[in-house]
Amino acid sequence: MSMKQTPALDAARRQMRPGAIVRDGFLGADRRPLVDILDADDAAVKRLGYTHAALAGRMRELRAAGARGLGEAVCVPPHFEVRVDSVRGKLPCPFGHPGLYPKTNITVKNLAQGGRAITYTDLGIHMIEEHGFYEGRGARFRADPAELARILEPPRA
Amino acid sequence: MLMAFLIAVGVVCAINTALALLMVAAEAFIADYGACTITVNGERKLAVEGGQSLLSTLKAERIFIPSACGGRGSCGLCKCRVTGGAGNPLPTEEPWLSAEEKAQGVRLSCQVRVKGDLAIVIPAELFNVVQYTTRVTAIRDLTHDIRELRLRLLEPAAIRFAAGQFIQFEVPPYDLTDEPVYRAYSVASPPSVRGEIELEIRYVPEGICTTYVHRHLKVGDAVTINGPYGDFRLRDGEREIIFIAGGSGMAPIKSILYDMREKGIRRKATYFFGAKALRDLFLLDEMRAMEKALPAFRFVPALSAPEAADDWSGERGLITEVVGRRVPDASAMEAYLCGSPLMIDACIEVLKRKGLAEDRIFYDKFA
Amino acid sequence: MPESMNLFAVFFSAVFTGNILLTNYLGMCSFLGASREVKTALGLGTAVVFVMAATGALNWLIYCLVLVPLDLVYLRFIVFIVVIAAFVQVVEMIIERTSERLHAALGIFLPLITVNCAIMGASLFMVIRNYGLGEAFAYGTGSGLGWALAILAMAGIRQKMAKARVPRGLEGAGITLIIAGIMALAFVGFNGMLSAGP
Repeated sequence: MSMKQTPALDAARRQMRPGAIVRDGFLGADRRPLVDILDADDAAVKRLGYTHAALAGRMRELRAAGARGLGEAVCVPPHFEVRVDSVRGKLPCPFGHPGLYPKTNITVKNLAQGGRAITYTDLGIHMIEEHGFYEGRGARFRADPAELARILEPPRA
Repeated sequence: MLMAFLIAVGVVCAINTALALLMVAAEAFIADYGACTITVNGERKLAVEGGQSLLSTLKAERIFIPSACGGRGSCGLCKCRVTGGAGNPLPTEEPWLSAEEKAQGVRLSCQVRVKGDLAIVIPAELFNVVQYTTRVTAIRDLTHDIRELRLRLLEPAAIRFAAGQFIQFEVPPYDLTDEPVYRAYSVASPPSVRGEIELEIRYVPEGICTTYVHRHLKVGDAVTINGPYGDFRLRDGEREIIFIAGGSGMAPIKSILYDMREKGIRRKATYFFGAKALRDLFLLDEMRAMEKALPAFRFVPALSAPEAADDWSGERGLITEVVGRRVPDASAMEAYLCGSPLMIDACIEVLKRKGLAEDRIFYDKFA
Repeated sequence: MPESMNLFAVFFSAVFTGNILLTNYLGMCSFLGASREVKTALGLGTAVVFVMAATGALNWLIYCLVLVPLDLVYLRFIVFIVVIAAFVQVVEMIIERTSERLHAALGIFLPLITVNCAIMGASLFMVIRNYGLGEAFAYGTGSGLGWALAILAMAGIRQKMAKARVPRGLEGAGITLIIAGIMALAFVGFNGMLSAGP
């Protein structure tokens, strides 16, 4: 993927500012142009030997397994602990994709790695799957591809 | 010399005055949208002054559309059908509207400016929504993270609502927010108590309203609320009832139960309440007393992960599992759910499997 | 040269050869800020044309009928800017009334027209060059059109450029200024047209 900063990306970036959709925004302290954030993460995912769809698929799989706990942590074989928490309200996608995404936080702990954990959201899964966007550095729900690959242990394509 | 000075000053003043007059004239002819008529639901006509947002214009007419962000266009809640007089949605609205909603003329009322006559469609219940000033008379910790708040209504001094409805709590600007925001909470007290309401609020880390209530609010503080909203209420009939709740989802069910007791509604009813451990259970005595007052009512608390010290002999497991075990056939029943969206979705699944038609499952829809 | 011909020459040179943006580099801030999208550029350009044409004529009237006879020419800066500020307010009201989308798209750039130096510049140039009322109006309109043309062209180029790989250090204002320079060279090329003339 070699995208360039287009007006559509400019519009998405505006939606990512603090206060537009979520209070703290989607970019954290990241000052890079959106296109560079997307390119860098895209390259990182390729280096790791995955695709966006594969990572998102794994995130979805663990979410489904954890949702059975109704807000409490659930053990998911072989060595994961998943907690899916939901609160009222829905969020739109900053890229202008139609539809609203429920406010769901998924926390996955990898017990084989001493409890190393990552937290992501329903909207986060969508943004990775459809837009290859993992949020900016320092953002509250930044899902770093390397961390995702390490903690979620997705099967390689 | 003096003359030249006076002329210079006079000329500048004259020019500025002329321009000021021009601006006043422009303001009067261009920026004055004059008297506009908002036709609500095809019947009620409101004569309003144009120029403001639809949300605040309606608020001035004492019609409150639920909104969480207070008009910044960042919560997407203040939706309202505008059937005539407004153009297409603005770029600021588009993320919040589905294609279907756009086709129906749904807009965010905080982004629509009243510039001429408008026709809008809102739920009739919004006509009954009123803004109240209140004072906190009691704060009680129900569990380690759920607080009960008692608010005495000052102006107006009494509220009329149906058991199960919710109100909006106005959070004034403080550490976490620069502008007032609004959050919805179900009323836990019964409708017969008209001068006071009870709310149950669970602490959510970083939550703007819950942090305010748990960390800042004190007895004696003033609180502004508006309401009531919602169509979560007991339906008439004789069907057996299943209530399911978790956490602060207790509030509307408690209000409904007290209302049933006062009105002598003796329908068969079972209330499944899910919690993690004993320290997350509350109002057990009240619920036991309710079982005595309503002979056909059973309270079934269930713990998903009781601690060893809890010495728990009641139901164990997730609330969905408990409902699955205890309810053999739900096809003739009616269900009322309140809790996290995740819990509601999972419970709807279980109840459907038990033969309950989806149109007889009711839950808080203010998500 | 007949007067109408002269008016045309003033107008033409204001649009092309003496383009206020590209030859005098006036009105740069909004030019850089609002030239990301053709739609926004068109809206801002239209507003600038209107304000420049109207304030050009109005400022000429005030200058020649009030300031010169009363020997108050030194007040022209303050008077011109006040007239421009008042006019921008009126334009903002008109846009707000007629097109909410355009109003939302222009955002802060609309009030910023007040301090758009191109507009002040146009009023000052017409005084320096001793234009008559007709010429002042032609010059104001022409300058506005020229500015609009330049920002439109730039917006078009920047939209295309979004698909090009720009060296990191030149991204944003850097490459935009280089493009503005090349555009200026192209506009200066119109010079020959005017002097060779029919």
